[in-house]
Amino acid sequence: MTRSQLRLLLASVVAALALVVSACGGDDSDSGSSGSSGGGNAAQQETGAGKTGGVLKQLGGTDVDYLDPGHTYFTAGYQFAYATHRPLYSFKPDDAKDPVPDLAADKPQVSEDLKSVTVKIKPGVKFGPPVNREVTSKDVKYAFERFFSVNVGGQYPTYFSSIAGAPKTPTKGVKPISGIQTPDDQTIVFNLSRPEGVLISSALVMPITAPVPEEYAKEFDAKNPSTYNTHVVATGPYMVKNDAKGTLTGYQAGKSIELVRNPNWDKSTDYKPAYLDGIQATTNDSNASVAAQQVLTGSHLSLDANPPAAQLRDAVTNRKGQFVQLPGGGFRYFPLNTTIKPLDDVNVRRAIVAAFDRDAALKARGGKFTGDIPTHFLPPGIPGFEEAGGMAGPGFDFLKNPRGDMAVAAEYMKKAGFASGKYEGNEELLLVTGNVDPIKSQAEVAKAQLEKLGFKIQFRTVPQDAMYTEWCQVPKKQVAICGGAGWFKDFTDPQSMLDPTFKGANIFKEGGNNNLAQLDDPKIDAAMTKAAQLQGAERPKAWAEIDRMITEQAPAVPFDWDKTTIIWSKDVNGVGNPYYDALDFTFTSFK
Amino acid sequence: MSAGAPELLTGGDEALTIEAAGAEREITARSPMQLFWRRLRHDKVAMVALGFVLLIVFTAILAPLIVKVVGTPQPNITNADLTDDFGQPLGPRDGHPFGVDKLGRDVFSRTVYGSRVSLEVAFIATALIVLIGVTVGLVAGYYRGWADTLLTRSMDLLLAFPVLVLAIGIGVACSGRDGCAGGLIQPGLTVVIFVITLTTWPYMARIVRGQVLSLREKEFVEAAQSLGASDWRILFREILPNLVAPIIVYSTILIPQNILYEAALSFLGVGIDPSTPSWGAMLSDAASIFREAWWFMTFPGLALLLTVLAFNLVGDGLQDALNPRNTK
Repeated sequence: MTRSQLRLLLASVVAALALVVSACGGDDSDSGSSGSSGGGNAAQQETGAGKTGGVLKQLGGTDVDYLDPGHTYFTAGYQFAYATHRPLYSFKPDDAKDPVPDLAADKPQVSEDLKSVTVKIKPGVKFGPPVNREVTSKDVKYAFERFFSVNVGGQYPTYFSSIAGAPKTPTKGVKPISGIQTPDDQTIVFNLSRPEGVLISSALVMPITAPVPEEYAKEFDAKNPSTYNTHVVATGPYMVKNDAKGTLTGYQAGKSIELVRNPNWDKSTDYKPAYLDGIQATTNDSNASVAAQQVLTGSHLSLDANPPAAQLRDAVTNRKGQFVQLPGGGFRYFPLNTTIKPLDDVNVRRAIVAAFDRDAALKARGGKFTGDIPTHFLPPGIPGFEEAGGMAGPGFDFLKNPRGDMAVAAEYMKKAGFASGKYEGNEELLLVTGNVDPIKSQAEVAKAQLEKLGFKIQFRTVPQDAMYTEWCQVPKKQVAICGGAGWFKDFTDPQSMLDPTFKGANIFKEGGNNNLAQLDDPKIDAAMTKAAQLQGAERPKAWAEIDRMITEQAPAVPFDWDKTTIIWSKDVNGVGNPYYDALDFTFTSFK
Repeated sequence: MSAGAPELLTGGDEALTIEAAGAEREITARSPMQLFWRRLRHDKVAMVALGFVLLIVFTAILAPLIVKVVGTPQPNITNADLTDDFGQPLGPRDGHPFGVDKLGRDVFSRTVYGSRVSLEVAFIATALIVLIGVTVGLVAGYYRGWADTLLTRSMDLLLAFPVLVLAIGIGVACSGRDGCAGGLIQPGLTVVIFVITLTTWPYMARIVRGQVLSLREKEFVEAAQSLGASDWRILFREILPNLVAPIIVYSTILIPQNILYEAALSFLGVGIDPSTPSWGAMLSDAASIFREAWWFMTFPGLALLLTVLAFNLVGDGLQDALNPRNTK
């Protein structure tokens, strides 16, 4: 065979291989409909019956951020935290609005001047091994104090900054906080420097409130960073498997987590049924499709996060009892920087919102099964949502058509002084997003939508973790549109959704700014300050009105009220918890 | 010319007449270029590959016209109606012969426009690599001494880096709003071209240096030196012409390498605006949904595969055709 013939043969073989490989990719799944909206939603979950026993295996590729309740701040960490710890308050799977007492004995008592919150804790709740003693209010006090230390690095100090004596910057070592008092072993009092009792009492569902035994943890907390994360001691129905000294033997970072029953957990003190005998979670599955397929077709399995599109389609169309959709309790949006021309003109912003095909942006994230298209900012599940108009919203014309309405947009552009109905200037708007999907794809949609209206876009993709901290949250970077922004509840209070994101007083010029649109409207600020002090039915009503005021200013394009889909095997009675948007190990059981 | 006549490489164009075996035969001497072309056109594989390369070049130049004639949408037009309820793209159909991507953008249009990015990066980067590599190689090989040591060690230093990691680092560092190197390197294609050039020129320089080290000892160089020719003249008039063949051959190898390099960088999300149609970026986007949307990866993948293969085959053919020892 000559050299030329050999080369020709090689070329043919390579081309043929390419065709074979492409043919193996499956068939053309071009069906435009799913046929079913799926089975469960959070409110319809079966939480009352279950068979005791068995070990559930959770597959996934995401490790917890931390097992330390004072440090964790993400879904994966919360899922394990709420199975192994008892915060003062927590949420039952069928009600994400009203928290129930967990370690607490009753509802928090807020003083009339809103400057003091008192909580009584249950007797008889014990720490797991190796501590093996009853929990007291001092353990909750210590949990708060260590949270503020640089060694532990609590990630949401803002919510508790009104506690008298709360450090403004992380402390070196664990320092006492004068505003937290424990008059007896069953009582803890939070004295506040500002009248934020309602906000604080809502925030007592966060894992910071899980007790930590000082005599055991101080040795670990003295190190920087604290090593309590690998020696964490449980109060909940489950504990991470450990040895006699308390070292976690059931946690292999980046590989697996093994939960076993906490022998010191007393069912009579808890509302959780805790049917399962144990949970084994893998956190290093590299192929989400394979893992999801195993879960749907296997037994005793669940998946840690949203399944890929193919398995999501399979679940919602063919496997009604094998999934639940949980409202994410947050909104994803494209903030429009109100300090940058021409976005400083409210009519230009309204035109952008009107023209925007928000359905396309949602589809870039996975379509209607991953969320609903918002008509305002307060998401479903947050008090004030219904008062703000519910799914229909306040009825502004620029938010009426989720597919975009160029006629309405043109009218607003004309009001802004652009006679052609499109932007006629030459300024480029900087759009920054992360370099991974789905935020990369959704930002590409945003770029196309803005270009429809005549805007010139400078499009930058940056590493995902740098998108917020180096770009969107840094006003001097002059980011006009943030392509991957979202805001999710830390607890179910409307203030926690709208205050950090749209209050002018919360614009931080030097960085760490969460008011990404830099909306600075004195009327909205004043309304927020007033509404922060309300309680009862007045509170959601007031925040719904603030939501309307914000929406009217069109500081952002809201395109997704997020939903999370959790899947499990046929023989599993899966129960999802809408507070942290993951499977609730304490309610899940086998059939 | 009679069949089977011997070919002579004389460097002249004039026909010679010689007496052989009692019969008068006319032997036509051919120039190196004529010999090169004669050998190349007899290499059928190389000629087919060359035809494909020209097709790709014309596709890149005429991309807007091709898209208009075929009737597919412009490459950046998104259309949510062309994705299903789960946001998954629909396959080949009327008006979209190659299907659409996750944002409902036409894959045919994007594949056609993708040739522009690939060829633009490949040709510009290759030209810069040749310019830098040849200059450095000439200087290092001819002058030797400290200049050679300095330049060779610099090359070794660059070659010691894991190129893809270095490229990603530079790409990310230069992707900010103001670029890097005081704004000289701007985000986008410039970053990609810079990264490819920076990490690839040492290969060309080493090849040239090796050749120059040998050529500088040849008699024609000594003759030029003894006649008082300047270094400049010796380098560019005496030595460089003798390097044309290896430079051409290596350049044709570099072009497909650079196409793949650009595809790899785009696959990793470095440099180019993701909405710009690029084969590498398309492959990256398609990887996660290959099982559900085979068309999304197949067509840009085939375009990349065939283009790289064609350039490699052309390079192979050129190497054979430029080889003076080739008897064909």
